[in-house]
Amino acid sequence: MFRAAHAHPERPSEPLDHHDLVLQPRDVTFDWSTTPLHWLPGEPFATHTFDVLHLMLPELERWFVRTFEQALPLITDDRLREDVRGFIGQEAMHAEAHQEVLEHLLAKGLDPAPYTLQSEWIFRRVLGDRPELTRAATHAHLLQRLALIAAFEHFTAYMGHWILGNRHLDHTGADPAMLDLFRWHGAEEVEHRSVAFDLLVHLDPRYRRRVVGMLVTAPVLTRLWIRGVRFLMSADPELDDRVEVRFRDYLAAARKDLLPPPVSFTRSVLRYFRPGYHPTQEGSTQQAVAYLATSPAARAAAR
Amino acid sequence: MDIDTPATRPPDLYGRPRGDSFMQKLAAFSDHAVTRLARRSTPPRRPRATEMPVIRELVVAAKHQEAEDVVSLRLAAPDGGVLPLWQPGAHIELHLPSGRKRQYSLCGDPADRHGYRIAVRRIADGGGGSAEVHDALGDGVRVAITGRPRNGFPFAAEASVLLIAGGIGITPILPMAREAARRGLDWRLVHIGRSRGSMPFAAELAELAAAVPGRVSIRPDDEFGVPAAADLLSSIPAAGAVYCCGLAPMIDGVRRAFGDSCASALHFERFAPAPITDGRPFELQLGGTGRVLPVPYDRSALDVLHEALPDLPFSCRQGFCGTCRVRVAHGRVDHRDRRLTATERAAGAMLPCVSRAPEGERLVLEV
Repeated sequence: MFRAAHAHPERPSEPLDHHDLVLQPRDVTFDWSTTPLHWLPGEPFATHTFDVLHLMLPELERWFVRTFEQALPLITDDRLREDVRGFIGQEAMHAEAHQEVLEHLLAKGLDPAPYTLQSEWIFRRVLGDRPELTRAATHAHLLQRLALIAAFEHFTAYMGHWILGNRHLDHTGADPAMLDLFRWHGAEEVEHRSVAFDLLVHLDPRYRRRVVGMLVTAPVLTRLWIRGVRFLMSADPELDDRVEVRFRDYLAAARKDLLPPPVSFTRSVLRYFRPGYHPTQEGSTQQAVAYLATSPAARAAAR
Repeated sequence: MDIDTPATRPPDLYGRPRGDSFMQKLAAFSDHAVTRLARRSTPPRRPRATEMPVIRELVVAAKHQEAEDVVSLRLAAPDGGVLPLWQPGAHIELHLPSGRKRQYSLCGDPADRHGYRIAVRRIADGGGGSAEVHDALGDGVRVAITGRPRNGFPFAAEASVLLIAGGIGITPILPMAREAARRGLDWRLVHIGRSRGSMPFAAELAELAAAVPGRVSIRPDDEFGVPAAADLLSSIPAAGAVYCCGLAPMIDGVRRAFGDSCASALHFERFAPAPITDGRPFELQLGGTGRVLPVPYDRSALDVLHEALPDLPFSCRQGFCGTCRVRVAHGRVDHRDRRLTATERAAGAMLPCVSRAPEGERLVLEV
């Protein structure tokens, strides 16, 4: 039994949490013509902390897709296979949407290429296939990568839940299209938050496997993120080249509720190590579903 | 997916000539530690059983005429046991004795743990599934469903909701109305249809309406005329959420009128692929010397390919996500997707979920 018991509301006030959702990609489109470079007005640090995702995610999510495609033939549970298919399509759409923002950044005078070249290299070469491995080792390598993805999906679900519940970004005058992109993406991450974990446990139920996944993912991701913020701040044509990036900038932005608070973020990472952890315990499908029905991009999607 | 793997390490982020030490460390970690661990890894013991039976046997426990051409079935476990939980908006996939599979929304009470209720309108010129439900499924007949209910139309229980149902589209809406009433939400329901006689569940809706006056409105076309979408949306409380289920033209109308209404959210069920329009039969060949698969006019190339290659990746089946991309070595492709660029098409990419070939022609795929 790898799926948590289905939570059913006993009392009317309890959330309706759907763990039986049919996952489907949405054919979204965004218009970036009126989005300024600093889409959180006067907050270049917070803006670029979000923007790192545009630099990282297209390659990262395509890597998810390729890795999951390799896992598809190994799945023996019909429902999980359906979930994985839905997951793959959603991730492919996320990659495209963020890719378009890269073109927007370039048009605004910020050339993302130095960082995206590194993303390409990390997700195609460093984390890519290893043809030199034997059959058994290739399978183990696939499981390692699925453990990294399951850990990464814990972060995306956390961030998705955070941005769906955050009202402060609206009040600071965030660009509506960019906010919709992150919330649409966050909502789909919450929708499919169990899939990578269920897939990993389906193929390798060992606690050790998933813990190692998080122990590698958390520090590497943190490092890549810090590098990304530094890079964007220095490549930003509207900022002084010598602007420094310090940890206290993050704390200040988090205090203003523009970025996830460090304590809740750390706690969330630690929860992943609990033996009884399951992604359904984090976030709210009801909130995600409610947002997707209001999202201008998701609603405009032909299908 | 075809990708180019960069062979050399990328340049330093700031153009420094020495190269990037973090990239070097990542590469070294991957080349040594990761591959060594993979070689030494012991294979995991897979959990043996899947989570649920792939097919669940049920028996028709009751059958009622709900309206002209509409019957409802109550399905129960043969031993009368407890069935998996579901929530408003959920559907089951019913396996009919003929082998047809059809999806039907559950329209009973989620609190009833011993039965699933569905309602089916007979469609004279349909694929025969609804006629089979009407004619072949009576009390005591055994049927099967796939696994457990799944939900493609989840109810998010916003503080104020407007539920719009067209005809048999009332099936997922009815449990939503009950849930809304149970939770004390500010809700309204509009049921439209040809005539009162054709609209199912009138008695149950009347019961709901009696408990909370003013919330339910029944609008048969032969009494009120065909409603404009804007009129349907007019009863929404400000910033409310709309749930809409019915035929495609009604949903499209509501979607178009939504922008001018004061509603804030629109939920509707996203049905899987639209029927193939203007399809002609053609052939697929798997590789230069491989099998030849005929694609009939009414099936997609992906459907046919999927039978031959069950592990072929795909997702949206509507030509936008790009997951099912294949490479065509020879043949003219009738591209119908919204994803591939002209360059990708010129390089032989094709999305078989929607794209086809001219009548009688053959596409040779590199698979």
